[in-house]
Amino acid sequence: MMSASLDETVAETAPFDPFELQDTVTGDIRDPYPRMADLRRQSAVHFGNIDFTGSDDPEPPLVSEVPVPVSVFGHDEVVSVLRDDRTYSSTVYEGIMGVVMGPTILQMDAPRHKVQRALVSPAFRSRILERWETELVRSVVDDLIDAFAARGRADLVRELNFGFPVQVIARILGLPMVDYPKFQEWTIGLISVASNWDRAMAASEELRVYLTAVIEQRRRQPADDLISDLVVAEIEGERLSDEDILAFLRLLLPAGVETTYRATGNLLFGLLQHPEQLEALRNDRALFPQAFEESLRWEPPVTVILRKTLKDAVLGGVPIPANSDVGLFLGAANRDDRRYADPDTFDMFRQAQQHVGFGFGVHMCLGMHLARMEARVAVNAILDRLDDIRFDPDADDDPHIHGMAFRSPTSLPVCFSPR
Amino acid sequence: MRDRLPDERIAALSLQILIDRDKCMGSGNCVFWAPGTFDLGDDGISVVLEPAEGEESKMFLAQEGCPTRAISLWRDGVEVTSP
Ligand code: HEM
Ligand code: SF4
Repeated sequence: MMSASLDETVAETAPFDPFELQDTVTGDIRDPYPRMADLRRQSAVHFGNIDFTGSDDPEPPLVSEVPVPVSVFGHDEVVSVLRDDRTYSSTVYEGIMGVVMGPTILQMDAPRHKVQRALVSPAFRSRILERWETELVRSVVDDLIDAFAARGRADLVRELNFGFPVQVIARILGLPMVDYPKFQEWTIGLISVASNWDRAMAASEELRVYLTAVIEQRRRQPADDLISDLVVAEIEGERLSDEDILAFLRLLLPAGVETTYRATGNLLFGLLQHPEQLEALRNDRALFPQAFEESLRWEPPVTVILRKTLKDAVLGGVPIPANSDVGLFLGAANRDDRRYADPDTFDMFRQAQQHVGFGFGVHMCLGMHLARMEARVAVNAILDRLDDIRFDPDADDDPHIHGMAFRSPTSLPVCFSPR
Repeated sequence: MRDRLPDERIAALSLQILIDRDKCMGSGNCVFWAPGTFDLGDDGISVVLEPAEGEESKMFLAQEGCPTRAISLWRDGVEVTSP
C-alpha cells in the first residue's frame, strides 16, 4: 500500500502492516457457497448457529432465554425482510457496531433514520460525486499505478486496491493526507470488534478524540469538505448533533474503505479469470456498470447483514418469534438458483437484475454511487495503462477469494507489458 | 434538471411512471438503472424526466431495483411488472 506520499509517515510510526490483520477480521473460509446452496435447498430460513468452516461437529445446544438466531438464504425472503423495516429492526447493530461507532444511521429505525439519512445524503449523490472523479479518484489511482507500472508485474490487492479508497474518503471528509495511514489502522481496528475487543475500543476512542477536534474546528471555520457540510446541514429544522456527526464519520471509514477495496478486488478477480470478459470490457467501457453489478452479485464483499424481529413474523411460510436475531446471507440470496440461472458463474453478459450486494430497503448502501465510481475509475486506469494484463503464471501464489463476513481476494498477482 | 409534470405521471413510450414521493428515500438507484428516465430533484426525491427516454427494460429494472417500492409502472391504467 505504499505510495510516495505515504512513505514518510509510515516510516515514522510503529511497523504496522494493516494487511496482516485481515484474516482475523474476515474468517479464513474459501468457499461457503456450496454449503449455503445446500441449506437454501432445504429451506430458505434456518434456526440455530451455522458453521461454515466445514467441520461436522454439531453445534453446542444454546442455553439461553433468547430465541435462537435465524439465518435467511433465499433471495425473495431476504428482500421481504429488508423491505419490512417495521418488523425487522436495525437496532440489532446497537450491541455490535454501535459499541465502537456510536449511534449511526446503520442501527436506526424510522422515523429517526429517515431524517438523519436525508441530512447526510446530499454529498453521496452521483451528480455531486462527479467532481471527485477527475479531481481526486483518478489522480490517487494513477499515483499508485505509477509506483509499479514500469515493473511489469504487481499484486493489485496490496499495491492498488488496498490503498486508494482510504485516500478518497479521507479527502472527501477533508482530513489531512499525513493522517491516512492512521485511518487505515483505525478502520481495521473498528471492524475487528467481534474478534479483538480491545483493539476496537482503542481505535474507537482514538477516532473520537481526533474527529471531535476536527468537527469543532469546522464549526468555527467551515471548509470545502463533507464535515463542514454536515455541521451546517438542516432539513425542516432538524440538524445533526456533534454526537451524530461523530458516529456517522466513524461509520464511514469502515463502510467506505473495507467494502470498496474488496469489491474492486472481486471484480478484477472475475475479469482475470475470464479473459474474454476482460477483453470485452477493455474494448467497450460502457459495459462497466453491468460488469461491476455482476461482480457484486457473484461475490458481494459484505456477505451477511443483520436485523432483529420487533414482533412475531412469518417468513417464507416459517414463523419467527419476536426478538430473534436474523442474519441475511446476501451472498446466498445473490446466488439463489430460483432467480439466477447458473448462479455460481461470473458472467457480465447475463441479463441484468437487481442484486442485494448493497443491501436493500431503507438502509440500502448510502455510498453505492461512490463505490461504483471508484471501482470504475480504478479498473479504467488499469485497462488504460496496463496492456495485456493477466494473472502472473510465475507468481508463487494461489490467488483466491476468501473470507466469511467480508470476502475478497488474498492477492491479485498480475503481469502486463511495461511501458 | 428538466421540469417534472405536476402529477409526476408522464407517458414514456406506452408506459406511465408513477413515483410515490413519500416512499422514495432518494437512493438514486433508479437513476443508475435508467438514467434517461429518472433524475433526483433538488430535494433528493426522484422525478421522471420530461420527456422520458430509454428502453422499457431499463424502466422495469429501475422499478425492481427501487429499494422502497416507490416506483410503479402502468399501461392503459393497469399496473405492470417486469415481464
Ligand atoms: C462496493 C462497495 C460497498 C458495498 C458492497 C457496501 C455494502 C453495504 C450494505 C450491504 C449496506 C447495508 C447494511 C444493512 O442494511 O445492514 C450498506 C450500508 C451503508 N453503506 Fe455501503 N457498501 C459499499 C460502499 C460504501 C461506501 C463507499 C460508503 C461511503 C462512503 C458506504 C456507506 C454506507 C453507509 C453509510 C451505510 C448505512 C446506510 C443506512 O443505514 O441507511 N458504503 N453498505
Ligand atoms: S430507486 Fe426508489 S427510492 Fe431510490 S431514488 Fe428512485 S424512486 Fe427513490
